[in-house]
Amino acid sequence: MDRHGGWFPQLFHTLRIRLIFSVALVHVVLMGLFTWEAVHRQSQELRQEMVNQGRSLASLMVVASTNALLAEDLASLAEVTRRVGEREDVSYGEIVDVRGYVMASTRDGRVGRSVGPVIKVSEQFPLVKTDRVLDLRQAVLIGDKPVGFVVLGLSTENLESALAATRNRGIQYTLLALVIGSVAAWLLSITVTRNLHALTLAAKRIGDGDLGARVEVRSQDEAGTLAHAFNSMAASLQRNAREIEQEHQKRTEAERLACVGEMAASIAHEIRNPLAALLNSVKLLGDQKLVKDDHAIVTRIVDTESKRLQRILDDFLTFSRLPAAQLQNGDLKQLVEETVELVRQDPRYSGRITFDCRYEPDNQCLFDPDLMRQVLLNLLLNAMQAMQGEGKLIVRLKRNGDRVNLSIVDNGGGIPEHIMSQISKPFFSGRKNGTGLGLSVVQRILAQHTSVLSITSREGSGTEACFDLDRENHG
Amino acid sequence: MRKANHWSLLLLLFTSTALLAAEHRSDHLRFGVLPLQSPTKLAGMFLPLSDYLGRQLGRPLQFVTSSNFTSFMEKVADRQYDIIYLNPMLYGRSRQYGYRVIAKVASEPFTGILVVRKKGRINQLSGTSLPPDTRIGFPDPGAFAATVMVWKYLESIGIDVERQLQVQYFGSQDSAILALFNGLVDITGTWRPSLRSMPEVVRRDLRIIAETPPQPQMPIAVRDDLPAEDIERLRRALVELAESSQGEVIIQQLGFKRGFEPANDDEYLEVNQ
Repeated sequence: MDRHGGWFPQLFHTLRIRLIFSVALVHVVLMGLFTWEAVHRQSQELRQEMVNQGRSLASLMVVASTNALLAEDLASLAEVTRRVGEREDVSYGEIVDVRGYVMASTRDGRVGRSVGPVIKVSEQFPLVKTDRVLDLRQAVLIGDKPVGFVVLGLSTENLESALAATRNRGIQYTLLALVIGSVAAWLLSITVTRNLHALTLAAKRIGDGDLGARVEVRSQDEAGTLAHAFNSMAASLQRNAREIEQEHQKRTEAERLACVGEMAASIAHEIRNPLAALLNSVKLLGDQKLVKDDHAIVTRIVDTESKRLQRILDDFLTFSRLPAAQLQNGDLKQLVEETVELVRQDPRYSGRITFDCRYEPDNQCLFDPDLMRQVLLNLLLNAMQAMQGEGKLIVRLKRNGDRVNLSIVDNGGGIPEHIMSQISKPFFSGRKNGTGLGLSVVQRILAQHTSVLSITSREGSGTEACFDLDRENHG
Repeated sequence: MRKANHWSLLLLLFTSTALLAAEHRSDHLRFGVLPLQSPTKLAGMFLPLSDYLGRQLGRPLQFVTSSNFTSFMEKVADRQYDIIYLNPMLYGRSRQYGYRVIAKVASEPFTGILVVRKKGRINQLSGTSLPPDTRIGFPDPGAFAATVMVWKYLESIGIDVERQLQVQYFGSQDSAILALFNGLVDITGTWRPSLRSMPEVVRRDLRIIAETPPQPQMPIAVRDDLPAEDIERLRRALVELAESSQGEVIIQQLGFKRGFEPANDDEYLEVNQ
């Protein structure tokens, strides 16, 4: 189940709500149990007291009415029931002779009649749910011989009212405890979460790069200890970051110097050969003995090597002065088609290379059209050169989540495994007349598109070069 | 307000009595016993007999008494009892309401006795020996042995009860005897069974100073509308009571010596005269 969704309210994930809910729950449960126990205990006590009072009253009725019952002294019996009936909790009271005839009753019109259906023994609590009268019966005995009996009904309304009052008071106290507990928990949560909130803000600032963020420590409790620990951690992070930064600067400087040295060495190496050829050719051209045919050859060499030098310098300038990418949303398919059409017109490969272009219905993505054209040109020309002018070249655009993948697959000779690790280095070229800056330019441009070039090759089978472009700006 | 309450009580009593009379149609036979003692004490004496008779008849008997002789006789006149136990004089009056004797107590002669405290100031009974302010206690004016017979006896020996004695009634035999024991009166008229039923500590302080001539014993009578076979069963049950060990226990609880024996109306004609 989703941690933040489902049946569990999102609000409950906050510490404050959890604290309030927990404290309130504890209060309600404890007060509920206390109330239940109090009502239960009071219920039993009141019921027992009611039973005892009823039995005492019935016994008194028996004692008071025995002689009168035997003597059929109705006036005395009526006086007994009148006195009994004066009690507020008495629903009825009757004195019955051995034949079952009512001799006195608190109810009108009952005297002289058969008592009718009547309980055989006194009732006990709990009563039937609808029964609001506790019925008691006590025999009038002379020795062990019954001469009549007394029936007495005690109303349980007062008992129920008392229990309901206790129950209601318990509910009120429970609600009061709920409110007090919730308020106390709320105040406590404010105290606790205020420090946590400050910690959260400080953590966010650190996450955003502000390693100088600190939490103001006010309390001496666990939150204060946590804040102390947080500040110590932040200070340590800041110190480490500073050291890393210094180390990084040192390394960058060293790498930069190494790169400059390497570049200088590469440039010197690339320039030295054509320059040597030029110097030798110029020296030969000054030789009067040079025959006409040789003079033409030497002149062609001067021309070729000069152009080679020019190309090296142009590529180097392109590599070193690459402009910043201006990313915009565009249709990559259109750019691919234009570039493919452009290279298809190259007279060196005209008609001998088959192009297989595969696209997605939607090929919109973010790229700099001029720089991306340069990337496509370099990769396509590399592939066409690798195929030595003939074969099948596949250009494929494919959706890959929120990116578009472009891959260029040739069926040329492939790249030997031992040079795979060097092909991306500047001035490394697998061809005689290559400057070795093409893939370096591609990598720099793709880096500006937050992408990298991936090259997979098998010698004798072909090579695949691919990269991804964002479909929309996430920055 | 109190007056209204009294009227309500009277109305209640009236309707209750009427209802009782109207609805006395249960299976129970009502055995009315003259209130010679307190109702509880009488019940203790007569409930075993009631149970026994009920078993013999196959119908339950309800023991009842009354608050006083007058009230008892009113109920007799109203024929509210099926069986009655009363004194010979009141039996004579009950005959006109349809009651007929079937048995009588088979015991010592039915006499009234005059009892005094052993340490009291009365040592002998004569018209001349009694102190002028002598007090005499009786249970009830209708008590045959204890009041009527004793009264007649006193007059027969020359004592004018009305003029020479201060007469007090105490409602029951027990009350009258206890009044003597406690010094409220100097002489008490009663009968032997009641004196025998007193606690030893009471009897020890008292002595019988005189005894009346005998009269027919206390009768048990039945209402004339009872089925003849029931009447015969009752008679036989009473007469044969002393023949069983269970019956002996019942007789002992009644405070009698020998149970019951057959009786007829002729024996009681002289009593009324």
